[in-house]
Amino acid sequence: MYSVLICDDSMVARKQVAKCLPPDWEVAVHFAKHGQEAITALEQGKGQVMFLDLNMPIMDGYETLKTMGKKGLQSNVIVISGDIQPEAHERVKALGALEFIEKPVKPETLQEVLRKHQLVELEEEEAELDESALPTDIRDCYQEITNIAMGQAGDALARILNVFVKLPIPNVNLIEVSELHMMLQDIQHKDSVSGICQGFIGPGISGEALFILSDSSFGDVAKILDINEEVDDQVQLEMLMDAANILIGTCLRGLANQLDLYFSQGHPVVLGQHRNIAELIKSNKNKWRRTLAIELSYGLEGYNVQCDLVLMFTEESMNVMNYKLSHLLED
Amino acid sequence: MANEHPDDMAEFHWMMDMVQTVDVGIVVLDREFKIKIWNGFMESHSGMLPSQVRDKTLFELYPDVSQAWFSRKARPVFELRTRAFMTWEQRPYLFKFPSYRPITGSEDFMYQNITLSALASATGTVENICMMIYDVTDIAAHKNQLEALQVQVSENKEIQATQNH
Repeated sequence: MYSVLICDDSMVARKQVAKCLPPDWEVAVHFAKHGQEAITALEQGKGQVMFLDLNMPIMDGYETLKTMGKKGLQSNVIVISGDIQPEAHERVKALGALEFIEKPVKPETLQEVLRKHQLVELEEEEAELDESALPTDIRDCYQEITNIAMGQAGDALARILNVFVKLPIPNVNLIEVSELHMMLQDIQHKDSVSGICQGFIGPGISGEALFILSDSSFGDVAKILDINEEVDDQVQLEMLMDAANILIGTCLRGLANQLDLYFSQGHPVVLGQHRNIAELIKSNKNKWRRTLAIELSYGLEGYNVQCDLVLMFTEESMNVMNYKLSHLLED
Repeated sequence: MANEHPDDMAEFHWMMDMVQTVDVGIVVLDREFKIKIWNGFMESHSGMLPSQVRDKTLFELYPDVSQAWFSRKARPVFELRTRAFMTWEQRPYLFKFPSYRPITGSEDFMYQNITLSALASATGTVENICMMIYDVTDIAAHKNQLEALQVQVSENKEIQATQNH
């Protein structure tokens, strides 16, 4: 049986890739959060095929490819990245990657690449359309408004924090309760990340923002926020709140401007600290089935800061948003 | 001239009355953190009249509040117009007010959740921010009781476990 290794620092992206694999492909799927973990997995004989992200903390995609070369680790590497500069394509291919796929990854593209390199059997079957998937034009539309919101937010952040913000490519998806459950459980089980959620509401649109920061980022966040005190638990928590607040606030404002409305934000809640996440979701399970999730994975240039922001909207909100965005969808 | 917009004046009057009487603390601060508005809630709980606090800085009135810390909190509100939050779990209170229920309440002081939000001027710039102070003493007291109870339950379990051995 084939072993497939998916290496990406974003949880949603990892699951996204896993979901795009051919459904009848009998493989064992392994995950890695950064290059270092991927190298360890390869050394254990995992990952005959590897899907590799480029922008990651600790060890990025380029370093991973270089290290593999140095150590003589073999794998069929397919790079999946949001970096759309042509030079990135050339560079990874020179380092031994088979192929380059742009984010967000689509099942058809991924399966075509696998067939092209004969990693799966050639089967002439039409890729089934996933009925739960978001129509492409609507997805593009959300992606575009998020991009614009991010541009505005990035500019504001850069000015106030004096840092260069690496603008992420937003990942727009409909996710099921179970997927969110997995994501939150990830946060709970790892001590290395902290999370905050905050409700927001506007006319006809409601949702929650989820902010996840890896704990290794705290030192650098303190530097950026100009905190000179010793970073104890208390300060750390407050920093998490402040960082979340700036990111969620600027991003929501950008979105609200384009939708021509105003979101009011509730008080933020720290996840996992004071309540059990599994229970939190379970009690809500009957109320909703799936949610529109916009995932943003941020980095700051020159700092080891990695954080994920997930904006989740209720299904009902989508009707209102689609209506508000209908002018963008017209030809 | 003065009676040109009597309705507007009447409306302004009852709106101000609402700000005065709402059971949430409302404080408006300018860029130097000088107090511009101090509503009825703040007046009653602090015992300081609006005339006593007006144009004094927050730090003069409450020397315990760190200026560096508060400025850091407020900066994104002025610059990015985002909201800033302080929760009782991190900082039980910013203003040490006595409990709202001095006789039957179990806590000595008022736990507070605080929100800072930007106030845009007529020209669109942010020169003032609004601080809203919510009394969350009951929530905090319940949570503290619950936590104490959980500790007790797990202690009892441990005792039982050792007795069974």
